[in-house]
Amino acid sequence: MKIKEGFLLKQVADHHIVIPVGSVDFDGMITLNETAVFLWELLSAETTFDRMMDAFLEEYQVSREVAERDLAAFLEKLRAAGILDE
Amino acid sequence: MNKYKIADLTVTMSPMHSPLLPQSETYLWHGEEEPVCHIALTERAKAWYAEHYHTNDESLMEYMETGAIFYQKLLEHQGFLLHASAVCVDHKAYLFSAPSGTGKSTHTSLYLQNFRNRAYIINDDKPAIRNLNGTFYAYGTPWSGKTRLNRNVSVPIQGIAFLSRSETNDIRRMSDIEAVSSILSQTIRPRNKLLAELLLERIDEFVKKVPIYSLSCNMQPNAAILSYEVMSKGEIK
Repeated sequence: MKIKEGFLLKQVADHHIVIPVGSVDFDGMITLNETAVFLWELLSAETTFDRMMDAFLEEYQVSREVAERDLAAFLEKLRAAGILDE
Repeated sequence: MNKYKIADLTVTMSPMHSPLLPQSETYLWHGEEEPVCHIALTERAKAWYAEHYHTNDESLMEYMETGAIFYQKLLEHQGFLLHASAVCVDHKAYLFSAPSGTGKSTHTSLYLQNFRNRAYIINDDKPAIRNLNGTFYAYGTPWSGKTRLNRNVSVPIQGIAFLSRSETNDIRRMSDIEAVSSILSQTIRPRNKLLAELLLERIDEFVKKVPIYSLSCNMQPNAAILSYEVMSKGEIK
């Protein structure tokens, strides 16, 4: 899975925001916190849940349980907004 | 083919119909500089409008397409467009932005009533905004909407308020991220990634410099008195 084509991540006014570009059927702006930016960038290339889990655990001092929960929640948000290409 | 200077950008254009032809007259330019682009309604564009807007009205297509080309070019020159009514009071620009029909022009007309010859409309629909050496200016352009109110001027922006209707009048400063979201909702988002990045860079600079407010108001003169009272005291960083 990865982020669909046509989304631009950029830092604006000290926030990380994502907007659609190109012919993407999405009208809005998303803000990402630090962790979300990290996960978003992992998804800029084709990856898997397990590989993301490994990177997440290596980067952050959290339990496997918390990481799994947070990652799943994040992916679900992207999925619901039609941003995830699976 | 004529040369025009719009928002301090030299362009060439051959307007044929109203409203573009009469509206662009005050922007005619006889300087020597090379134009940054030629603005024209192509056959391909006509076909696109015919298909998507179900119209054969060339004067409307000309007006819409030339505006679209200009405002897209503006992104490459430290600028962006905002769907707003821009009024000048004592040489400072106050912009009021909102979705169509909310009351932007109504609010700025209250300014004209209140300030009389200290005030005039810079652009009643789509002021061009540009960052020139760290100062943000609002410009008149030939594309100024239904009322056709515009002047060929550049005025430093004192503040921008996003308007919503309510029974009572209230104004507050917006957080930076709220301001970014509001501006994005009232500008044209390019389909090209590079231009989109330029737009976001401009918005980033803008919200860090110019005070941005949320104004909920009715259509009474007091609404304009309140917005002016607060916005005229705002600090440009």
